[in-house]
Amino acid sequence: MESTMVLTEDEALDLLAFLVTAARTQLDEAAEYGPLRLLAAAGRLAEFMAARASPATRQFLAGPLRALPDAALRSVDPGKYATELDTVCRAVGEHLVSHFDGGAR
Amino acid sequence: MTNPVLEAIRTRRMVRALTDAPVPREQVELILKAVRWAPSAGNRRLHRYVAIQDPVTLRLLRMVSPGMFQRPRAVIAICIDGGRAQSFGMSPTARSLYIDVGTSAQTMLLAAHSIGLGAGVVTSFSRAAVSVVLNLPSGFSPEMFICLGFPAARQPPAMRPRTPVTWESLSQWERFP
Repeated sequence: MESTMVLTEDEALDLLAFLVTAARTQLDEAAEYGPLRLLAAAGRLAEFMAARASPATRQFLAGPLRALPDAALRSVDPGKYATELDTVCRAVGEHLVSHFDGGAR
Repeated sequence: MTNPVLEAIRTRRMVRALTDAPVPREQVELILKAVRWAPSAGNRRLHRYVAIQDPVTLRLLRMVSPGMFQRPRAVIAICIDGGRAQSFGMSPTARSLYIDVGTSAQTMLLAAHSIGLGAGVVTSFSRAAVSVVLNLPSGFSPEMFICLGFPAARQPPAMRPRTPVTWESLSQWERFP
């Protein structure tokens, strides 16, 4: 399958720096920040990818992936937060199947 | 009659969404002038402030600051001058050093609020990486960023307390029962 480069070197460095420094800051911070940091990284990646991704992936980034639960919900209603994350995870799975398998399954 | 100081304290919020409008240097200077009056243990003045407006430096800071969700147009980094603290015989972990990071921060947050700027604090960053980006002298430790800009019309939802908070729920008279 033909694949397109969706990140510039600057964007990749931005994300790399975020991930490495987040690993360090997480050693000292509340455990509940863990998912928040991962989602922030996903958000940055999605933002970088949007301009160069395929139309279907772009649609996914602009649609289901934008439905990430707000961080504030984590402290107020952890159950709902998990449920909303599951919804996004299902959408990720559906897009992966469609992207890699052409929806053949 | 409204007390303007109490009103400013009551209405200040952490501002996490900022516009692209640049922050005039004069406004950053006003905040730096205000923090000169922040309470400092023993009036030892062991903190130094680095004001950043250069877009490239701001971008690099954001890359190594996982807690920086906003895109600030200016940042003031609060640093502890560890060497100077040591000259007073203080341990690098002395509480007053970190308490005074807080007094500096609150002073700057209120100053920013009073001149119409949005401000938010960030502490989730790599001290090691920030020290390199800002070329901090040996012994300096960056402890907190005050992120500045003009507030966007739409703000992300605030982090709400786990349980309702009132001043009474946070306070006791004389001693705990």
